[in-house]
Amino acid sequence: MSAPPNPTGAAGRRLAALAEGWRVYRADRGGLFGLAVLSLVVVLALLAPVLTPPAELDVTRAGGAPLRPPSAENWLGTDESGRSVLLLTWWGARMSLLVGLSAAVLSMLIGTVVGLVAAHFGGWVSTLLLRLTDFFLVLPALVLAIALSTVLSRGVLTIVLAIGVTSWPQTARLVRAQTLTVETRPYIERARALGGGHRHLLGKHVLPAVLPLVFATTTLTVASAIIAESTLSFLGLGDPAMISWGSMLKSAMDTGAVTAGAWWYLLPPGLGIAVVVLSFTLCGRVLETVLNPRLRGERR
Amino acid sequence: MGVGPSGAPRAAPRALLLILTLLLAAAVPAAGQSTRSASPEADSGGEVTLRVGIQQEFDSLNPFLGFSLASTSVFRLIYPTLTTYGAEDFSVVPELATDWKSSADKLSWTFHIRQGVHWSDGEPVTAGDVAYTFNRMMDDPAAATANGNYVEGFTSVTAPDDRTVVIRTTSPQATMRSIAVPIVPEHVWSSVDDVAEFANQRMPIVGNGPFIATEYRPQQFLTLRANEDFWRGTPNVDRLRFVNFENSDAAVQALRKGEIDVVRDLTPTQFDALRGAENIRRVRGKGRRFYEIVLNPGAANSAGEPIGTGHPALRDPRVRRAIDRAIDREVLVERVLGGYGTVGAGYLPPIFEDYYWTPPPRARRPFSIESANRALDEAGYPRGPDGARHGPAGRPLDFEFVLHGDSSTDALVGEFVKEWLSRLGIRVRLRPVSDNQVNQRTTAGDFDMVVSGWSVNPDPDYVLRLQTCGARPKPGGGGLPDSFLCDRRYDELYARQLAEFDHSERVELVERAQRRFHRMATGLILFYPNALEAYRSDRFAGFMLQPTEGGVITAQQGYWGYYRARPTEQARAASGGAGYRSAAFVIVGVALLGAVVLASVAARRRRTAEHRE
Repeated sequence: MSAPPNPTGAAGRRLAALAEGWRVYRADRGGLFGLAVLSLVVVLALLAPVLTPPAELDVTRAGGAPLRPPSAENWLGTDESGRSVLLLTWWGARMSLLVGLSAAVLSMLIGTVVGLVAAHFGGWVSTLLLRLTDFFLVLPALVLAIALSTVLSRGVLTIVLAIGVTSWPQTARLVRAQTLTVETRPYIERARALGGGHRHLLGKHVLPAVLPLVFATTTLTVASAIIAESTLSFLGLGDPAMISWGSMLKSAMDTGAVTAGAWWYLLPPGLGIAVVVLSFTLCGRVLETVLNPRLRGERR
Repeated sequence: MGVGPSGAPRAAPRALLLILTLLLAAAVPAAGQSTRSASPEADSGGEVTLRVGIQQEFDSLNPFLGFSLASTSVFRLIYPTLTTYGAEDFSVVPELATDWKSSADKLSWTFHIRQGVHWSDGEPVTAGDVAYTFNRMMDDPAAATANGNYVEGFTSVTAPDDRTVVIRTTSPQATMRSIAVPIVPEHVWSSVDDVAEFANQRMPIVGNGPFIATEYRPQQFLTLRANEDFWRGTPNVDRLRFVNFENSDAAVQALRKGEIDVVRDLTPTQFDALRGAENIRRVRGKGRRFYEIVLNPGAANSAGEPIGTGHPALRDPRVRRAIDRAIDREVLVERVLGGYGTVGAGYLPPIFEDYYWTPPPRARRPFSIESANRALDEAGYPRGPDGARHGPAGRPLDFEFVLHGDSSTDALVGEFVKEWLSRLGIRVRLRPVSDNQVNQRTTAGDFDMVVSGWSVNPDPDYVLRLQTCGARPKPGGGGLPDSFLCDRRYDELYARQLAEFDHSERVELVERAQRRFHRMATGLILFYPNALEAYRSDRFAGFMLQPTEGGVITAQQGYWGYYRARPTEQARAASGGAGYRSAAFVIVGVALLGAVVLASVAARRRRTAEHRE
């Protein structure tokens, strides 16, 4: 670990903090494992259109026999319309990751804005926003998501919206708490005394201080968003034409893969969900320790 | 991990023994009790229950309201109808009515009611009950919910005496011999004020049929007992139970384990997977359903005002026929149905041999992307620079295809059609929505293309009517449109077949109506799926199928399948308490396991306690 030579100025400080963070992160084997798996999955998902022929996902052109067990030709067998399950799982990763990430980002945006505003302005704004947060917090998220995706037209955007809109309250509460602590620090008071407006205070001082925490929470939210996506797709609320791990499980159930004993159709998407969610959780937990030094002691 | 050498080995067995004895003592009476409570079923050895797995819920047990397939098949078992369809070939046979005749002008029909038939509470079944049922449907709009179409043309229904019913109609109707309306007992139903709110769940339900409904748990099961006084004779089985399942895989597993005897609505995958399974026989019946894609020909309501959002290009029959040419039905049957179906043709499914019609070679539109493209070129829908076709007004051919979101068949068909039409320069956007939304959007005309399908009765009148102008939705709501065809020539043929009493003449008219429907191409009949069922061959030797050739057990137009089920000796010999006995074993087993776990925990705790000492 070569520390940057003579760390001076803001950039240098940041670099040093980053290096220190990486040192702490590296020490956790689980975190490293999660990061490695995640990188592999993301790279494969991104390269899917380059490495595999998308035409083979087209049911009208799929050549294989329906529901065949794994063979030399199709390593993970085929689905009910003769498509390779390996290929489906591969492309399903794209949709699951995309929906998971976008939903998490959406939920993070809503949560951060609500949390920041509620803590910074206080008073009736805070009361109003907190009651709203409480309302969404007690609402069963899955039921709300199901209701939303029934009312809106089916599609990726609807699923993202349904998950994002239901999963932000935790983030909002967290951000509010953190903002309250940050705002009591002397440098904020100083900035205020020097005439800094709301925008300056929030944008230049509070947000940067809160952001690392938000980042760690988002990583954890992605995991639950992926599960939520799979659940909604499995319940048939997704777009059946779009391949995701949840929709694969749904078509496996619909066509009677269990009766046919087609384990190769059920296992890959299930394991995919488990591995990716585990990786995100591992990364998120370690990131929390990195960004919140108080947690470090407890974990050892 | 040093354990005290003296105390522990002695204490542990003692504690274990003690707890075991205690738990066993507690478990045995419980097990005995559960066998005792089951004894009524076990004692009456030789009783046979036919258990049928269904995946649909009963929408209502009120025969005026329920119209799901699950409910109507129960009504056929517990209520009489005037006539029914024979098991062999769907011919009309006497049921409650022993015979019938019509006046010379075919406007007045007289039915003679069977003598000596009693409701399950002992009251006689009379012509008054029949007249009451029809009059209630004519007077009370709520009572017309499920079967209102049958009484639409009625002017009056009277019972001059206990054995005679006279029905007068406004115009001659060939459907009068097959009125599938469940007849209800007047002495029970006259006290029901609000039919729409009446659940009809007081058990046993007073009725008259081969079975009597005796127990109902919503979303779990409905049990029926054999009616020993049934005029045709007691059924072969003593009990009939419909068991609800959440999904078909669960039902198939239950069949494999012998928990149910018959399962219906199998997917092709499940049907294939059950090939060669022990003690299971499969039944592949010709289905009564057709599966179609409706192309919006410019929907309008019954006042003739245009409604909905249909694409203008689809009003052109040449475009609709070109789309028809771009659909390869053989591939769909092979890939979507796994071969379990018949390629779509005119309109009515091949199970009804008389009315089944396939277009002659001259009128046929075989799959050919080239000829479809040529037809669109000639019709004036040229391709733009990007390859997409557009209409004369410049609007691109871009269709919204509404599908049932829960159906894997729809999803696959959608994918295939989207791909084929893209080769014509037509863009298709798939819109999978809930079943309710499919119905709403179809009725409102809010679609370019939509999936539809109907189960056809032996008398084709009902589904033929769907394509007439009269079926279009009323401005105030209501109406049951299918493809919004509303064609003068089709309507004329429809009216003529309804008034035609000579069978071969009527067949000829129905064929001409189908030809017209095929020519207009508002509904593209893709295929007729097979009905796939399976049953336990160790418990049942067979069922009476309808029709005899390529028939089905469960989705019949009649009660034959359940009524004439033939249980095996093995099923009679096995006592009904087996399930409860195994439950007792399970309880004892669990108790034993719990005892062992508890004992070892207690032993260890004791050990550590002694260790601390």
